[in-house]
Amino acid sequence: MSTVRASARWIRADLRARRAQAALTVLTVAGIVTALITSATLLEDGTNPWRGLFAQTSGAHVWIHTRDAPDPAALSRLPGVVQVAGPYRTAPATLATGGKKSPVALREMPTRLPPVAAPLVREGRWLREGDADGVVVERSFARTLGLEVGGPFTVTALNGATHPLIVVGLADTADQGFYPEWTPGLAWTPASVLARVEPAPGRSEAVTGLRLADGEDTLPAVHGAVTLLDEQIQRMSTWREVRASMELDNRLLGLLLALFGGAGLVAAALAIANAVGGRVLTQTRDIATLKSLGYTRGQVFAVLMAEHGALGLLGIVIGLVCGQVAAAVALDGVPIPPLSPAPLLAIAGGTAAVVLVVVALPAWHGSRTPPIPAAPASPPKGHLSRMARLALLARLPHALVLGTRDAFTRRVPALLGVFGLAVPMMMITIGLGCWATLDDFLRHPEKVGQAAALTVRPGELSPGETLRITRADPQVLAVYPGSEVPVLEPEQTRSVLARAVGTSAQPYPFAVVEGRMFAGRGEAVAGQGLLDLLGVEIGDRVRMTVGGTPLIVHIVGRVVEPDQDGEVLSLGMDSLAAKDTVPPQFYSLVLRPGADPDAVRARLLAASDEALEVSRVVNPAERLAVIRVVIVALTVVLALIGLTNLLTASALSLRDHAFDLAVLKAMGLTPRQVVATLVTGTGLPAVLGVLVGTLAGASLAAGLIDLQGRTSGMGAGIGRTPSALTLAAAVLTAVGVALLVALLPARRAARSRIQVTVR
Amino acid sequence: MTSPVVDTVNLVKIYQDGGVPVPAVRGVDLRVEPGEFVAVMGPSGSGKSTLVHMLGGLEARTSGEIWLDGRRVDTLSESAWALLRRQKIGFVFQFFNLVANMTVADNVELPALLAGASAREARERREHLLGELGLTARADAAPSQLAGGEQQRVALARALANTPSLLLADEPTGNLDSRNTRDVLRLLGQVHRDGQTVILVTHDARVAGLADRVVSLLDGQIVDDGAVGAARRRPRGTAGDVVELRG
Repeated sequence: MSTVRASARWIRADLRARRAQAALTVLTVAGIVTALITSATLLEDGTNPWRGLFAQTSGAHVWIHTRDAPDPAALSRLPGVVQVAGPYRTAPATLATGGKKSPVALREMPTRLPPVAAPLVREGRWLREGDADGVVVERSFARTLGLEVGGPFTVTALNGATHPLIVVGLADTADQGFYPEWTPGLAWTPASVLARVEPAPGRSEAVTGLRLADGEDTLPAVHGAVTLLDEQIQRMSTWREVRASMELDNRLLGLLLALFGGAGLVAAALAIANAVGGRVLTQTRDIATLKSLGYTRGQVFAVLMAEHGALGLLGIVIGLVCGQVAAAVALDGVPIPPLSPAPLLAIAGGTAAVVLVVVALPAWHGSRTPPIPAAPASPPKGHLSRMARLALLARLPHALVLGTRDAFTRRVPALLGVFGLAVPMMMITIGLGCWATLDDFLRHPEKVGQAAALTVRPGELSPGETLRITRADPQVLAVYPGSEVPVLEPEQTRSVLARAVGTSAQPYPFAVVEGRMFAGRGEAVAGQGLLDLLGVEIGDRVRMTVGGTPLIVHIVGRVVEPDQDGEVLSLGMDSLAAKDTVPPQFYSLVLRPGADPDAVRARLLAASDEALEVSRVVNPAERLAVIRVVIVALTVVLALIGLTNLLTASALSLRDHAFDLAVLKAMGLTPRQVVATLVTGTGLPAVLGVLVGTLAGASLAAGLIDLQGRTSGMGAGIGRTPSALTLAAAVLTAVGVALLVALLPARRAARSRIQVTVR
Repeated sequence: MTSPVVDTVNLVKIYQDGGVPVPAVRGVDLRVEPGEFVAVMGPSGSGKSTLVHMLGGLEARTSGEIWLDGRRVDTLSESAWALLRRQKIGFVFQFFNLVANMTVADNVELPALLAGASAREARERREHLLGELGLTARADAAPSQLAGGEQQRVALARALANTPSLLLADEPTGNLDSRNTRDVLRLLGQVHRDGQTVILVTHDARVAGLADRVVSLLDGQIVDDGAVGAARRRPRGTAGDVVELRG
């Protein structure tokens, strides 16, 4: 223990002497932790918004729909029930908007928000006293239908009467899932408005929410409610169903995040190992002095661990704070509940473990420094390699040759330097690849199986009428009739979607990436998810069941399938029985290249007098937009890591060669040549690292994304490598920064007066 | 009868250079009594630095025995040597070896803190030592701001911080000009007069002349071990006084 004071002095003095480097180490670690936490929070929130919404709205765990309003006092006495929301009278109605009729549940709500399950107003305002026709619409419903605050909300009640209402606000709720996964859409109105729209109490129901003390334990309350209300109950839902309907497919994000976070952590570990190793190397003499004063090996190790480990831990703490703040402001200022403790602990603990391990290695190395301080820590003497001699013979500039030799005199640091830049550069390239893939989704939706930009449902129009109207539009290239039916898989335990679009003779342009397109009756193509689910391969025959009728299909190809986790069977209309395909449920419209889907949609609506339901196909890239935020954030962190490595390499190289400068000058090199020598020495491994990283990233990107596509069921064949132009820009930027970082200290060193002394 | 501070028996150090054994010290028997000032002389490569490094445990001996204050120490582990150095051995090196990032005051306090002194004790001892060596004004300076002679005086203060029983000085004046050499030698003479046992390595006969006894090494063996006679010591003492007057 006696060494604590002495060690504290040493650490303080060392930190004071290299504030910038220490700060950069802290920043790097903080950056990685921030990125990991932000991404994990976004992921958790983006893929499962239920948790946040439920907490913010203090939602109810159980919702009971009954014919008549139950007695809330009786319900509140049920086991585990803390508070009761409602009962609220709710009436079904139909919303007509933009040529589409959507079922909507109108729910009465007081103008003062209740304490439990209060909708969270995101835009506009809540209902007010005297809102004669105001309505607040659930946000996902509004977004899907394009409803805006101030816009019309024309509902048709069951009795056929139409009521023009006005949207006064948009709100989020955890009462039910997002539209269209959860239907009908939800809208809140004052009781007076509801009474006007649906005067008959018999055509409405009462909705009551129960907030429980322990959300995990819903059974007692559910059983109690069933016993209490018995036949009154129309249906019930619990928070689990709501949450399930709000969960998006998070696997793509999850893997991307794990990949980036993990590799970012590796890169940061390399950077820290590099920085600490470099620092220990430059301190060899001081460490030897400490040992001559009576420090033991273990104590030197402890001091180094304490100093560098503490920097890392400080970075983690700062990262934890920044991560919470960054996540909170990342999504348009919407406060997001903090990450749940498990991933938070995993991130903090994992990073701490990595930091300590990578610090331990150079610290151990440092602790083995021989205690004779006079022993110089100079690089091993190298000879001019055959390469270098050749280069000199070829009359390459001397500075380049000398610098090249310098760059690789110390093998391990040189390799670490190369890797230190190669890993972040590789990750950045892979990130660019993800970006390019998303861009490709948007630019060429046909490659991800979304050749059709619009889906038209005939509504009340006849198939012939629909075909006539859609084919009449000049921008519509082709119209494929289609139907979707659930089919039972061979073991009959679960059903998957069979999608028939086009016919065997004129098939819809599916994105076939393996095998071939179906070309006859009984042939089909499938997504990767379905192939995995059934455990079949292309060429196999599968027996399925459609509504009791057996359907034997020959799977002849695999398509890129962005929907339903790839668990979709695609086939021609003629392969299904007529009862399932006549009349077609929908028509997929392939537009001419460059056509604006919104304009076509508007024209079709106008041409059909709003009788057709025309909807845009949602591109998977739009759902995955959050990935772009992740990519940008991680690129920044990776760049920071690369910079740390560069600075370390630059400091080490200067230290190794500062004493050669006098010799170089004595040999007759001009200051400019000296600078060139130093820059080559530091810059060459950096440039090499950038190139290696870019090449590795470019060759890995498509493969990794395809691997991800395969595991997510979408299937391989989506990965794209970033364009040559993007790659060139990234390489040039990185190399430019690397040379700049090498140049500045080199210039200073070359200009300063060189002291020819022994170290 | 007090035991000798240092006693070596047939001390041998052989380096391995690419598989070829290179003997540096070949069977040295050296006995240093408390309060003695021994100069180890010899040309470059004679093994004198290796010898003092072994005496301080900075290098492990190949064979032979080292006794320090009557205790056998050549068998100690590296850590035990480190603990021993804290208590009993002070080192002064040719290139001063001050910790560059620490102030003069911190450099001098470091050994005391390492030995378990409280911050106050360490400060008081440091103030006393720097006062003795005339460096009080430079306490807050960084080593790089000091001249070579000043740096070596600080190194000396650091070596003496724990009142070691043995002060090992490896060419302490090898990197100094004549004026600073005089200053440092004067200080060494002074601490010796205060009873400090000193072993000084030098190749400079004038520096060695300050000692009570000169041990000459050649090719790793003692070729001459002559206690300097009282008759010769007196004029040197006078020379020391002269140096002191000039300093």
